[in-house]
Amino acid sequence: MTTPKLTDEAVAALPIHDGRVELLEEIMSSPVIDRVTEPTSPSGRRTPRWVTTVAAAAAVVTVAAVPLYLTRDGGDPSGTNGAPGATGVESPGGERAILTTAGWTVDNVNDDEKWGGEVGYSKGSQHLAVTWYPASEYDSYVTDREHINHPEVDQGQAIEVLGAPARLWAYTANDHTVIRTAGDRWFLEVRGDGMDKQAFVALLGDLQLVDKVGLETSLAADFVTQEERPGAIGDILDGIGALPPGLQASDVTSSEPDRYHLGADVSGAVACGWIAEFAAAKSAGSESRMAAATDALAASHDWPILREMNDRGDYPEAVWDYADQVAAGKVPEGYRQGLGC
Amino acid sequence: MSEFPEGRDETFRRLYAAHFDAVLGFALRRADRPEDAADVTADTFLVAWRRLGHVPQGLETRPWLYGVARRVLANQRRGEGRRSALGDRLRRQLATVSLDTADEVVQKADVTAAMRRLSARDQEVLELHLWEGLEPREIAEVLGTTTVVIRPRLSRARARLRELLGNDPAPPGHLPSRQPALIPKEGR
Repeated sequence: MTTPKLTDEAVAALPIHDGRVELLEEIMSSPVIDRVTEPTSPSGRRTPRWVTTVAAAAAVVTVAAVPLYLTRDGGDPSGTNGAPGATGVESPGGERAILTTAGWTVDNVNDDEKWGGEVGYSKGSQHLAVTWYPASEYDSYVTDREHINHPEVDQGQAIEVLGAPARLWAYTANDHTVIRTAGDRWFLEVRGDGMDKQAFVALLGDLQLVDKVGLETSLAADFVTQEERPGAIGDILDGIGALPPGLQASDVTSSEPDRYHLGADVSGAVACGWIAEFAAAKSAGSESRMAAATDALAASHDWPILREMNDRGDYPEAVWDYADQVAAGKVPEGYRQGLGC
Repeated sequence: MSEFPEGRDETFRRLYAAHFDAVLGFALRRADRPEDAADVTADTFLVAWRRLGHVPQGLETRPWLYGVARRVLANQRRGEGRRSALGDRLRRQLATVSLDTADEVVQKADVTAAMRRLSARDQEVLELHLWEGLEPREIAEVLGTTTVVIRPRLSRARARLRELLGNDPAPPGHLPSRQPALIPKEGR
């Protein structure tokens, strides 16, 4: 890290005009390969909402899927070709993990069949995050952690976690992470913050392997199991009220056990639909449809699920901010990314 | 396809002119050596050229380019990237040009040092916020996630940096006016 952190203005003043011009011409002389580059996902640039929480969690991991971006077959690192999902079959007994230590509470859960998930525990100022990622991404995560103190490379300390080899790294004296050798479908990373290494390693001994069902049954009653989810979604939609044109209650789905994430999925689907309706109505010059969408979004300030979620994160504020922009007559810029539409 | 009303070449020239400094700056602030930043810049714009029809327009263009540059840089760091076939002159110029313009850096050395003590994930979010001046929505675009994820992560990262810098941190270096300062409480 020896290069100064120059501002863009300082960069603009560098005497590199010739190199800049020559590069432009070189690039524009290179062949264009447009044929293969349609996104494989029908939703285009949209990436799954909670899923990418996991996929993007490490600083530089998603590239593992596209290391040959400039090869002749046209792959590239623009991220639009999708990212690897889990493909193997989970071992009997499960490859996720939960913490069994008394006194710790779950404050965050998300779980996705393709991308993996995370359970976040806390106890006072201590936090423990148990994360499972697709086994196919194991190497890239290990490489990333080896560079925690980039440019130094640290192979990590060899330890055993849940009966399998693992490697442990320190971010600081009170912040450690451990990556366990990959299973058939997932690999586990556990990160402990607010505790020293000895306490962290002691907690690792209290982990227990589980599958998806085991995970859900381990959660307190206020988390939503698979069986409870349709009813919970229905209740949330009842509290929201009017749905945008073209959106049926049965279209709204989620796999999230945590009411915050579940609420974001549900309220987001409705808010996205109404903003899209507002945009369409504005393009069509339909005052009545614009008014209906504006009113529906204005009502989001009273949606019970958003009020419930408001203590835990900023998703409700994002919805309300977009609703206010619509009320001012604007189609909010970037709302699809902001809400995960 | 009529997706380039001005023509493909002109569309790309405009993109290059509008974002070259930002992409090179992004790369320079993160690369170990200036010439590596030339490779990152060359490969980033090569991807944009090849996938021009997929480059989002307006305010989303730059986060998209940063997202590509981030992946190119990561490939380079883990040794999988190769020297770009393009941009040789830029590489040579950057290898020899003086970058010692201490008054025009995005943050002071003590903040840089403190940021190195944060986790890689916290560092990256903070860098995008403090160095590139991106808001949570744009950071989410670069990282391929959503603001729901980024807002709390950024909030926590800022809090951790504040702790590392002490209770009364100095302003984070000589920031350009468009870039956010580190404030005591996030947006409330």
